[in-house]
Amino acid sequence: MAIVRTEKLSKVYNPDTVPVHALRDVSIEINEGEFTAVRGPSGSGKTTLLNMIGGLDKPTSGNVFINGQEISKMKDSKRIDFRLQNIGFVFQHYNLIPVFTARENVSFIMLLQKRNKKEIQQRADELLEQVGLGERKDARPVQLSGGQQQRVAVARALASEPKFILADEPTANLDTESAMNLLDIMEKMNHEQNVTFVFSTHDQRVIDRARRVITMVDGAIHKDEIQHTDEKQDA
Amino acid sequence: MKTLFTISWRNIWRHPARSSVLLAAIIVGLWAGVVTVGIINGLMQQRIDYMIESEITHAQVHNPDFLAEGYSWLYIPDHDEITAWLENDDRVTSFTSRTITDGMLQSPIKTSGVRIRGINIDSEIRTTNFHENIVEGEYLDSDIRNAVIIGQKLANDHNVEVGNRIVLTFEDTGNELTSGSFNIAGIFKSASVDYDERNVFIRSDEFIALLGDEEVYHEIGIMLADEELAGPVVEELNEAFPGIHAQTWRQLSPELSMLVELGGYMVILITMIIMIALAFGILNTMLMALFERMREIGMLLSIGMSRLRVFSMIMLESIILTITGAAVGIILATLSINYFSDTGINLEMFAEGAAQVGWDHIIYPILSSTEYIIILAVVVIITLLASVYPAIKGIRINPLEAAKDG
Repeated sequence: MAIVRTEKLSKVYNPDTVPVHALRDVSIEINEGEFTAVRGPSGSGKTTLLNMIGGLDKPTSGNVFINGQEISKMKDSKRIDFRLQNIGFVFQHYNLIPVFTARENVSFIMLLQKRNKKEIQQRADELLEQVGLGERKDARPVQLSGGQQQRVAVARALASEPKFILADEPTANLDTESAMNLLDIMEKMNHEQNVTFVFSTHDQRVIDRARRVITMVDGAIHKDEIQHTDEKQDA
Repeated sequence: MKTLFTISWRNIWRHPARSSVLLAAIIVGLWAGVVTVGIINGLMQQRIDYMIESEITHAQVHNPDFLAEGYSWLYIPDHDEITAWLENDDRVTSFTSRTITDGMLQSPIKTSGVRIRGINIDSEIRTTNFHENIVEGEYLDSDIRNAVIIGQKLANDHNVEVGNRIVLTFEDTGNELTSGSFNIAGIFKSASVDYDERNVFIRSDEFIALLGDEEVYHEIGIMLADEELAGPVVEELNEAFPGIHAQTWRQLSPELSMLVELGGYMVILITMIIMIALAFGILNTMLMALFERMREIGMLLSIGMSRLRVFSMIMLESIILTITGAAVGIILATLSINYFSDTGINLEMFAEGAAQVGWDHIIYPILSSTEYIIILAVVVIITLLASVYPAIKGIRINPLEAAKDG
């Protein structure tokens, strides 16, 4: 069953003045366990599509279903809670809470979910180990490199046990080594834990590693192709 | 809640210099406000205590028309019965009868209108502490015949000194003009220059001898065990003696009574002025902090932090900052007030000006527990109001801010 399904999704900015068609009748499905990249030039609508799928923005028309639930018509407060329980986010600028340590950043989302304290500590430590930051769990973001911060962001996104993770240009600010390291971690989680990842990117390093690549041009899907990477063949 | 508190507390210290400046402004502002209120209270209390203890007393009895007209024949009827009643009442600690009339003081150089007060030395000393105001010469308990004590201002105006003679002229109880020659035994200086200029004191027995054949009194000053007893005692006196008019110090001196009420308003007013000024500081700091964290708050909303929690987080930041500042400010102010309530604040440089308006230059600040509560309430209410706007701004941030470039 598709985790994400969009039906004729359209988004028009400034409809009354200078209309900008950011999305035009986009219908896609993303299944559990996918490692999908949404590519396209600037202004092609890839970030808008991710915002719609993530419930951060409302479409002008069309529907977004997450696990069969229509989210675009949900009330704001309900959508916030839905995001908390179902969607993980990784941002281009990492967006960690600067006054929290790596461990607190990862724990925070679980605290919002009102989980048991012991479980929170344990899971935060496990996740930081998985992203290779077991030794840096007490460091604050300012004490971490960009790549390390983005790995904390991945651990935070995973902490809430979401249905899927949306990553908006996750490698845009990283050097090659950090980007590859991050992609290795995400790929490993996808393989081993069947975590679903959807990226928006124009980074060829990410596109090369994705198993499905959706290409967007002028707000519409131009191409939707499956790549036969080594990892996929192994799978 | 603990997490919200932690994040709010750490957010405050994200810019230590900025928060410290605001904290210092709150501490100093509140300290200054509380101490100012304490000083104002001290000034008012000083004025009230002085007026009660040196002159007005807690309650007074007069002929119903005397205070308005001031004639010597408007004396208190049933004086002896009233004093007997007072002697038998446990609430009364002391009382003194005074013979009073308005008249003229003549010196070799000029003539002035004065109020002539004939006092019984023993009972006056038991009832008031006016005798402590003597700055030159002696009180009326001297051996000098026809002794008079006059205020320093009056003495200066008439260029007279202890040992000189003056003439007092007044109407006696038979409506006849009478004069008497008096020797200046002493010069007093009260807290009010105005009072010093308009009052002279002589012995009541000598005064009565000049006023007429019978012993007449125009005023009975009464000190009570507690100021609060003034109302009931006055009421009972008026009921028991229909021909007199007994009044409390509040009725006798409405301006003094107004001072007490004013004190209450001043606490709120001064605290509000200081806090409103500080509120703009809080508002400015919180808005700056908010605008710097648009993306971060967008991220919090994106990952699932409810708008109510974001609202609470921003409110908490202002509240923690203000409560910390207010607590330190109030502790410092309490320590200052406690210290100065023993030693007094010596405003020597303003002594002359203060005396012109009837105040002593040593001020003992006072602040009641009710006033502390009022100040804290004003601080909390204004802080909450100042925090609401940034908090509302905060919850209106679009989660998409998290994904913005730059």
